[in-house]
Amino acid sequence: MNDDEKAVLRARDFWGGLCLLVTSLFFLWKTSAIPLFGENRAGVRGADWYNSAAIVPLGIWTAMLVLSLILLAIAVRDGGARRAMTAAGIGWDRTEAIRIATIAVILVFYIFAMVPRIDFIICSGCLITALIFGYHGGHVDRMLTAAGAFVLGGLYPLIMHFPQSEWNSPHDDDWVVLGVWVALTLWALIKGRGRVARAMPWIAVIVPLVLVCAMAFGFRQNVPNRGGLIFSQIEYHYYVNIRPLWRN
Amino acid sequence: MEFALTQLAGFGGAFWDLITDPVAYVYIVVSVFLGIVFGALPGLTATLAVTILTGFFGNKIPLDYSLIALLGAYVGAIYGGSYPSILLNIPGTAASAATAMDGHPLAKAGRGAEALGLTTTASFIGTLIGTFALLIFVWLLLLISQSIASPEKALLALFGILLSGTLMSEDIVVKGWIAGLAGLAMAMVGLDPLLSEPRYTFGWSYLFSGFQVVPVLMGAFAVPQIIDGLRHMDMGQIISLKGRILPNLPVIRRHMPTIARSGVIGTGVGALPGVGEDVAGWVSYGVGKSVSSDGKNFGKGSMEGLLSSETANNACIGGALIPLLVLGIPGSPPAAALMGAFKLNNIIPGPTIDPAIILRVVAIMVLASFTMFLMGLFTARIFIQILRIPQTVFLPVVMVLTTIGSFSVGGGINDLYLMLGVGAVAYFMNLMKYPIAPLVIGVILGGLFDETFRRSLLLSDGDLSVFVSRPGAAILLTLNIALTLSQAPVVKRGFAKIRGT
Repeated sequence: MNDDEKAVLRARDFWGGLCLLVTSLFFLWKTSAIPLFGENRAGVRGADWYNSAAIVPLGIWTAMLVLSLILLAIAVRDGGARRAMTAAGIGWDRTEAIRIATIAVILVFYIFAMVPRIDFIICSGCLITALIFGYHGGHVDRMLTAAGAFVLGGLYPLIMHFPQSEWNSPHDDDWVVLGVWVALTLWALIKGRGRVARAMPWIAVIVPLVLVCAMAFGFRQNVPNRGGLIFSQIEYHYYVNIRPLWRN
Repeated sequence: MEFALTQLAGFGGAFWDLITDPVAYVYIVVSVFLGIVFGALPGLTATLAVTILTGFFGNKIPLDYSLIALLGAYVGAIYGGSYPSILLNIPGTAASAATAMDGHPLAKAGRGAEALGLTTTASFIGTLIGTFALLIFVWLLLLISQSIASPEKALLALFGILLSGTLMSEDIVVKGWIAGLAGLAMAMVGLDPLLSEPRYTFGWSYLFSGFQVVPVLMGAFAVPQIIDGLRHMDMGQIISLKGRILPNLPVIRRHMPTIARSGVIGTGVGALPGVGEDVAGWVSYGVGKSVSSDGKNFGKGSMEGLLSSETANNACIGGALIPLLVLGIPGSPPAAALMGAFKLNNIIPGPTIDPAIILRVVAIMVLASFTMFLMGLFTARIFIQILRIPQTVFLPVVMVLTTIGSFSVGGGINDLYLMLGVGAVAYFMNLMKYPIAPLVIGVILGGLFDETFRRSLLLSDGDLSVFVSRPGAAILLTLNIALTLSQAPVVKRGFAKIRGT
């Protein structure tokens, strides 16, 4: 690690130390809600201090508080506090920030909006397409396009089918995300015709399809959104038309 | 001697059962292959290979096959990391970082095939040395561990977390300890093990059962890797191989002392709780540099240097399994993932473990190392082709694998939320040079520490002297204190002065 990297790291450590300090204090306060000295609970005497559920967490968060102070002291001693207020001090890089922010947005929408509500093959295919198109080559405009398209696809199910009771059906949200996936694939093929661009649609279709079928029919495990647009059809035909071929 | 013969006879029986089971070959070949692929692709790690396969095979197939899949991938991945180290100068895994120091200069000098062949042989012998140590020492330690009670267990768990935090820290040691404490804190979530008192559940019923190990592993190891790896990278030119990969017997015989020494070092480092293959590789490389007659050429393309790191990182696997099986304390990050698989199958590694499982593990390790050896020698050129796949192509696939693997372990969609949350924390920890391994070790050992620490106090009516009145506990307490104090600036300056005089 060279001196510049170390200086950036200490500026980050300053913020990290502050965050840890606040977190430690918050959890110490939360720990105070766990009976420590055998308080009465609904007429029943709680445990002694040495058997209390609070004793170990109390030790952990106190140690964390001490370590956060040590970290802060190291950061301040090495000039981290002085540099912490400037963008250069913490090593801010606009392109890198866009890259991380767009990946974060895509992953958050994938896990929170799509996986519970959208057919797994469709949403995962869309994810693979967005990530390969957006990040292969390192073009910022493509990252923004991929994230924008993915958010567009994710917002619809999130807004229209927020409650858990609507996660499996109807399938209008599946169609919307499928549309976004197809559009993104076409756009990716227009923008680049290299080997990766040509392979991308195949990977996006085959990987989730094989995985979900292996998990559901090979390992007999639960898979996300069983009632999804494509998987419900696969499951129906597997049990009604395919499986009887060897079961009978 | 009689003891060793008994163990060998037990191992012989387990090995025979394994090699006469045709299904075992399917699992071993596929898992070792996948392991080598994971190791060979820069951006994927051995820990990630074992973690992802835990999501798939952890509790979905019989335990015997599950162990084959996970151990096969572990052995394969540690070895596979040598491919990009030698041919691209990019370590495939952290464990093979030291390998690049000499492997790449050798490849540039037109000795890439020879280097790969010797690396494969050294990794094979290294794995066998570690496995042999596992077979012998695990029983000796099991005998000792029978007398270990709650105070010792609590202090040992704490020692594992502290040691992992101390040795795995890339920057200041405080960060390693913070990571370990964060893991411990995460293990406190849910109903406490003795009184069922809810802790930090925030009214969310999912958290009553605490953080599940597999989503935490996936979040800690896979998500930061995906976020960090999704960038344009110029992989450079893969150096083409000339000559034969199959090594000469006289050459191997000439390097045998180096291989044996590195195997012993790797096994020893692996047996330390929470210290992984990367530390083993560097320690062995450092020792090799100081004792080898070829030491001055280390870093310039020395075969001795290459073998020092490669033998040690594979020998570390067997060593890392010793504390895992005997004490329930993982010896390395991939062993922590393996512990997750044990937990999924309701097996509690430690003094009460079924001895048949240990013999089975040893047999699988031997079969996996033979498979790795044969694959390495005869299909190396396939793995070299795999190096050409850009990480922007395979990391999205890994994200999908991680998602479905984590979902199917049991907690459903909530496990995915947990995975993403842990992943975000782990990413920022990576960014600020906090080691992730102590965090995971903390999560895994946190429950054990909490339960045994409080049980010790309960049995002694709150008398803290229970941690010094028992000889084993007193030794472990001293080790914990010594480890902590050894990092204090005053002590460090004192040691520096002593060394200076």
